[in-house]
Amino acid sequence: MNAFQLYFRLIQISLLSRMQYRADFIAGILGLLFWNVINIGLIGILVTQFTSLKDWTLWEVVFLYSLWILGYSVYGLFFSHTEALENYLIEGSFDQFLLRPASPLIQLLGREFQFNEIANVLIGLTGISLAYTRLDLHWDGWRWGFFIAAVVSGGMIVLAINLLVACTGFWTGRSRGTAFIVNQFYGLVHQYPVDIFGNAFRVIVTGLIPVAFMNYYPALVLLDKVNYASRGWVLSYMSPLVALLLVGIVSVVWRLGLNRYSSSGS
Amino acid sequence: MKLFWSFARQNFHALAAYRFDFFLRASSIVILMYAIRWLWIALYTQRPSAFGVSLQQMVTYGVLSMAIQNLFYTDPAYYMARQMRTGAIDLDLLKPMDFHLHMLARSAGEMLFRVCVLALPGILIGYLLFDLRLPANWQAGFFFLVAFLLGYLVSFHLGFVLGLLSFVSIEIHSIDWAFHATERFFSGQFIPLWLLPGILGSLAAILPFRSIYATPLSIYTGVLEGEAIAQAVGFQLIWLLTLFLLSHWLWARIQVRIISQGG
Repeated sequence: MNAFQLYFRLIQISLLSRMQYRADFIAGILGLLFWNVINIGLIGILVTQFTSLKDWTLWEVVFLYSLWILGYSVYGLFFSHTEALENYLIEGSFDQFLLRPASPLIQLLGREFQFNEIANVLIGLTGISLAYTRLDLHWDGWRWGFFIAAVVSGGMIVLAINLLVACTGFWTGRSRGTAFIVNQFYGLVHQYPVDIFGNAFRVIVTGLIPVAFMNYYPALVLLDKVNYASRGWVLSYMSPLVALLLVGIVSVVWRLGLNRYSSSGS
Repeated sequence: MKLFWSFARQNFHALAAYRFDFFLRASSIVILMYAIRWLWIALYTQRPSAFGVSLQQMVTYGVLSMAIQNLFYTDPAYYMARQMRTGAIDLDLLKPMDFHLHMLARSAGEMLFRVCVLALPGILIGYLLFDLRLPANWQAGFFFLVAFLLGYLVSFHLGFVLGLLSFVSIEIHSIDWAFHATERFFSGQFIPLWLLPGILGSLAAILPFRSIYATPLSIYTGVLEGEAIAQAVGFQLIWLLTLFLLSHWLWARIQVRIISQGG
């Protein structure tokens, strides 16, 4: 069995066990839908009452929001068990992944298929299609390709950042705190165009926690907002590159972490 | 009353053990204060002194809202649902104190702890770095404190009622979520309620949630003055009384039905 087959077999098992609690399942999806509607509603009201947010109109902000959530749902559906790493490390139950004859990473990620995230896919697709028609966009084949690349890169970027954060647990034991801070940046970039904030913020979400590559930068390309006169215009096209780079970094760090791991012995 | 404080103090000390956790929450407050200030600046360049409120007032409203946000979510519902699920609830019931009051003591301890380690430092940082202004006069400051306390009590009772519901249905995770989303929308935490259009505005005016953020913050920033303050505080009192009675009625009915899982 190769890694992919193994991963999907594990996902299948986790899905079956999840389906045991069908009511929970549906409630979870509805809850997530509701949460997103409220969120978009809040931003929508702000933007309409003030006609625009800097040079971002209502539907452009909806586009940003939806692009982010589509990328995130790729992560959420398949890889969200990353965040559980800390618990395994603290309880010492991480050993189980090392004992079985398969890649520990695949075993970890295969633990959970977050079916709830379907709600995010729905919200994302609805938001993008509404924005696409309202903004009267006409993408050529190249743009469609870039859109799909941006969504996949978005998923990879979250995976890489969250796994990097989780990996710090190999050294420090705890990683939840860092994750909490990183999540604050996720939330802000998710909802607002990065350029309304100060430069310090922009530097952080571009270079340090490069979450702006999930929606802000690719959206500049997809909404024809790239300012070619400015120095940083090339960043708008870099999402796939950033994703690859991050995945490269995290695979090295993961290996280092595994070598470093010693069981807590409980 | 002595017992009340001993329970409150206990939770205060229990929380003080997690220093790292609070360092993180504090950093997150700073990030959010920074962000909200820029957000309002961006919006106000679009439309200066929108709705008769100045940028200065709006920034103060937003930054202060971020500084005090942790005070309201002591989440008795979460605690109660957890105790019920694990069966540890019978230990809470054995305590020599009315359950409702015991939960309030726990929550108050947590709230006071957060005032000390999060809100006060947050307000100071907001004042120094993010244009948070002091209230215009002592009345605004005083009634802000009154409205804040009432808002806290309303928030606690909403959580308590939610927690009681968890005794009946065991799993309230999703209800809890939907509830917090609604609260977020109608409490005035992120967008002040005078921005809500039409029916949403009227809904916000009758729901209890505006007691939580909108009332204290509007008093602090001077958006509400004179008689309007009295009206808003009266509204808080009415909801507090309603929720208090509802809590007691529900607790009386649910208490006899509790079946512990035996821990």
